[in-house]
Amino acid sequence: MDYAAQQLLNALSFGAEYALIAVGLAIVFSIMGLVNFAHGEVIAFGGYSMAVVGTVVTGNPLVLMAAVLIACVSVSLLLERVAFRTVRKADITTGLLTAFGVSIILQNLYLLLGSPRPISATQFIFLDRTLLIGPVHVSSLQIYETVTTIAAILFLTLFLKRSYLGIAMRAASRDFQMVRLCGIRANRVVATAFAISGLLAGLACIFIMARRGSVTPHMGFDPVLTAFIACVLGGFGSLPGAVLGGFILGFLEVGVLVLLPQTAGGLAQAAVFLVVALLLFWRPDGILTPATEKGDKL
Amino acid sequence: MTRRLLNPDQKRGLIGSAMLAVLILVIVGAYALWGESYQARILYATFVNLIVVVGLQVFMGNGNYATFSHAAFMGIAAYAAAICVTPAAVKALSLPDAPWGLNAFEMHPLSAALVALVITGVIGALTGLFMSRLTNVSITIVSIAILVIVHSIFLHRTDIFKGNQALFGIPRVFGLGHITALVILAIVAARLFRESRLGLRLRAVADDEVGARAMGVNVVRARMIAWVVSTLFFATAGIAYAFYLGTISARPFYFNYVFLTVAMLILGGLRSVTGAVFGTLLISLGLEIIRWLETGPTLGGVKLPEMLGLSGLLLGIVIVGVMAFRPHGLMGNREIEDIVFRRKKTTEVSK
Repeated sequence: MDYAAQQLLNALSFGAEYALIAVGLAIVFSIMGLVNFAHGEVIAFGGYSMAVVGTVVTGNPLVLMAAVLIACVSVSLLLERVAFRTVRKADITTGLLTAFGVSIILQNLYLLLGSPRPISATQFIFLDRTLLIGPVHVSSLQIYETVTTIAAILFLTLFLKRSYLGIAMRAASRDFQMVRLCGIRANRVVATAFAISGLLAGLACIFIMARRGSVTPHMGFDPVLTAFIACVLGGFGSLPGAVLGGFILGFLEVGVLVLLPQTAGGLAQAAVFLVVALLLFWRPDGILTPATEKGDKL
Repeated sequence: MTRRLLNPDQKRGLIGSAMLAVLILVIVGAYALWGESYQARILYATFVNLIVVVGLQVFMGNGNYATFSHAAFMGIAAYAAAICVTPAAVKALSLPDAPWGLNAFEMHPLSAALVALVITGVIGALTGLFMSRLTNVSITIVSIAILVIVHSIFLHRTDIFKGNQALFGIPRVFGLGHITALVILAIVAARLFRESRLGLRLRAVADDEVGARAMGVNVVRARMIAWVVSTLFFATAGIAYAFYLGTISARPFYFNYVFLTVAMLILGGLRSVTGAVFGTLLISLGLEIIRWLETGPTLGGVKLPEMLGLSGLLLGIVIVGVMAFRPHGLMGNREIEDIVFRRKKTTEVSK
């Protein structure tokens, strides 16, 4: 029973992290059809700015968290302005490959200007303590993570349903041209999407840093790959789909680790990907895809 | 109605691939005349990449999808060929724990290559069942899934694949002559595929899937055949890789190699075989220069610092720059003969 509860919490916190990143990918995709491969490098940028601010300015965790969030939002906005504005009207493959290139550039810049070896930044480690609730050992980080994700998703929903810009964004995901015809600036809508995406990346970065305590050029790659898969699984561009996909992957990952025998531990990732491929075979456009006919957007 | 053997486009295709073959032969000739022996390795690697990129063009280029699984197929073929061809005596040392009697037999290189091609083709057909039924982003995801699954199997089954350690003792049966012949064959095959009915259909699907379906194109079948054909290109490259180097490990068959080859295809232009060839040659040349810079050479009396990551940076900049300024690559929809001779009838060539 304790074991089951512990694994459930593990799955929830993994799922929360993936959902956080996946929503950041989905919100950009829903508006401009861009598969943002460079999202992981935004997270890594947050880590690097934390390392720099932490050593040069102050080690105060609250200040550092703010610094990480600001860094992620601004680099996300910068990428939109510099790289992604030129491919806004291009097809999905062009956008995907551009993002892919941006991701390679950033990784190698970190390599060139930083170091291929991990740089330690341990100010957030204090978030990760072991608590004892009844008979169950619980990591406080996992609780923070789950709660923050749920709060972030609630705020985001509120923003999208109630605010002027949020409604404009939801409309833009249906029909961007129409939104522009209604007199709303395209650049503002897209920039907001990137800012939100950066903010979510920043939150994810804080949790990743609390767990790892160090930053490397490639640290964003794996979580974003998983989140990317979560997005596709849930239905690309659908925000509830991204959350659902994130949690499905979290549960899948923990489930596979629990069910597979110890000797096959190296195959966990392969097993997860296999299940995902089968799910996609069942529903090629993801589970919660908005039903659009092909060739609708002519 | 009598069908001609080749329609005009296919004839042009043959002329175009002959021109590319001449280009390849000129490069090899230049090496034979002035090259130094260490450059043979670079040239060989470039040609292996060329086969991969041309193979990518078959599915990714004609169909306009982004797929990242080619390194996995290369790895499968390389390992299959290597395990078949390595002498049993060597395998007793390198793979002492291999199951199913894998270390108890050996084959002629030619039959080993055939076995590897068949294995890769069958796996390609099985994965093709998935790939041909998926849509845009899902294709990318499932291709990544294939790459990750195959890589983790390589790492996990150390008794067969040795994981990140080297599988050694493969007879080095290939040389520059073999690979040159293979490259030329690959170019001709890819070009003929592009101009064949299937290639034309696939390009039509890329332009307008609904329209193509309405004209009676069997989209799933077109994707399926193209997918399997392209895996055979990757298999050929993998076999050539194993037969030249003599040792292989799982590490090179992963994301870094995928990035490299995709960048090559993008630079040249997804849609044309000529683009694939030019992109590969240009990036290979660029990387050699960059690698030399990375080691921190002395240039005009100034000692440059060591710069790790410069080559990766270049690849990224190439991809982003091409996508931003020439979304269809250097060649766009054109092939080499379109530059040399004008088309007689003015058909719509570029977007």
